[in-house]
Amino acid sequence: MNFFLSYIILAEIFAIVALSTNFLVGVIGIFSVSQAAIMGVGAYAYAIAVMAGIPFPLALLLAIALCALLNVATSLPSLRLEGDYFVVTSFGLQIVATAVFMNWSAVTGGTSGIAGIPAPRFSGLSFDEPENFVFLSTFALALASASYWLLMRSSYGRTLHAIRLDELAAVAAGRHVLQMKLGISAVSGAYAGLGGALYAIFMSFIDPSSFEIHVSVLILTMLVVGGARTLAGSILGPFIILAVPQMLTLLALPPHLIGPLRSLAFGVILVSFMLWLPKGLAGRKI
Amino acid sequence: MLFLQLIADGLVNGCAIGVVAITFTYVYTTTGVFHVSHAGVFTLGGYLAWYLSKEGIPFVLCVVLAMLICAAVGAAIEKGIYEKLLKRQATPLVQLIASLGLLAVLQNLVAILFTPNVLQFESIAWRMNVLHFGPIDLTIPQVLTVLTAFAAVYGLIYFSTKTNLGRRIRAVASNRTLAEITRLKPFEVYVYVMAISSALVVLPSVFIGLDQAMQPYSSVLVLLTAVIAVISGGLGSIRGAFSASLVMGIVQNAVLIVVPGRWSIALTFTLFIVFILFRPTGLFATKIRRAS
Repeated sequence: MNFFLSYIILAEIFAIVALSTNFLVGVIGIFSVSQAAIMGVGAYAYAIAVMAGIPFPLALLLAIALCALLNVATSLPSLRLEGDYFVVTSFGLQIVATAVFMNWSAVTGGTSGIAGIPAPRFSGLSFDEPENFVFLSTFALALASASYWLLMRSSYGRTLHAIRLDELAAVAAGRHVLQMKLGISAVSGAYAGLGGALYAIFMSFIDPSSFEIHVSVLILTMLVVGGARTLAGSILGPFIILAVPQMLTLLALPPHLIGPLRSLAFGVILVSFMLWLPKGLAGRKI
Repeated sequence: MLFLQLIADGLVNGCAIGVVAITFTYVYTTTGVFHVSHAGVFTLGGYLAWYLSKEGIPFVLCVVLAMLICAAVGAAIEKGIYEKLLKRQATPLVQLIASLGLLAVLQNLVAILFTPNVLQFESIAWRMNVLHFGPIDLTIPQVLTVLTAFAAVYGLIYFSTKTNLGRRIRAVASNRTLAEITRLKPFEVYVYVMAISSALVVLPSVFIGLDQAMQPYSSVLVLLTAVIAVISGGLGSIRGAFSASLVMGIVQNAVLIVVPGRWSIALTFTLFIVFILFRPTGLFATKIRRAS
């Protein structure tokens, strides 16, 4: 039962991060392969803040705000230039983040990471146990989904779609394209920060390998499989993709091959979906 | 003297990065695909050469065979994936995601077929031999890196300006629609470009592997450094990309005097982000050509 609950919780956390990626890849149509890095910053920020004695809501807010800020700061140069520069800064951000997690040992604990991250308690109810935590993660996903849904239907969301379809026309219609893109980067960063903080709470242990480039590719695969731009796609994707490693464990494979085989499977999935089903299972055209 | 040695090592690294950079920009400016899986071909080439040399095949033959196989792989990627996507008018984003998926496939295939661990060319005895150039010591693989890099750069420049196929490639790169009308067969040209680039990128892969070691996943970093050099040098210029790579190689090594090695990657990318903010067109300002 716990095993199944953990799967649900992790899928819910990754759904929040997939929504964060969806804002970039699906909504404004820019490539991102650094969502795990932003998520990692959220996780580390939360862990460090909580362990320094800052109360749970404040630490969560801090993680979210920091990620929003970081996402804006790193996307600023690329948003000005559009297109392929974002690929480089995105990859770059991922690699720099991993280097910082690994090497800034005084703060991040280096390769050994941070262990024993306390879970919040509310009126005697501790979120240590998956049975309780699942309510927290479901609530967070519901909140994220609702705000995603509302945002996409607001005039702001519609303008974002217009920017993706024809940026020049949006500029000509007097929209502040750069400001709007920066705004959505901030929102995307905030979602990733929330996902990261929840991840830190649930696992109670974080290390650099949890937020490597493989994880960013994993998140992108979730989005691609579920389908870009829709709410259903971002939620469906993580549930499907997180089931893949479970299925691989059913085939009796030599342990040292499991990691590469899993990544190989994700690569094959990415290529196949782009070739035959770029919309994903429940998404729109990208 | 340490400083001179660091500069020389940086120059060698720059040459290796440079070959990756010019081949990447060759693909990018011609086909318009942000060919991330170039890093996967890079990895594959190195491991193929390693495997062949372990089987007792003469080293030169190993390199040539690895280049041929990678050329075939590159052509197959173009035919099997990029061409299909391009004909269906997929967005650059879709091509990029497909390329990223392909990168994961290539790297992990290498890890599964050979080994996911760090590995060295044990069967090549001369790889540790050192040549002395005044105060500077270079290993034979390092010297070969430099020689093959310059051969690749000038070979590619000669090829694209003096031969018919090279001129045809440039024509397709500058205007695909016009090339199609004048029967230059752009899709056929793309296959050649991918084959040439994939073959050339084996060279730095093998010589870096010989000099240091190989690991299936480290090539992403090499490619990224190369792409940064391509952008800094001004997209679309072979000479620009190579010169910028040399500068980057030297700078990356020279900063080791003041910054610990583990921070040099972070420093490079941070510098790049700042640089791109102020000089979006690169050092040798040419027009930015976007993949659209």
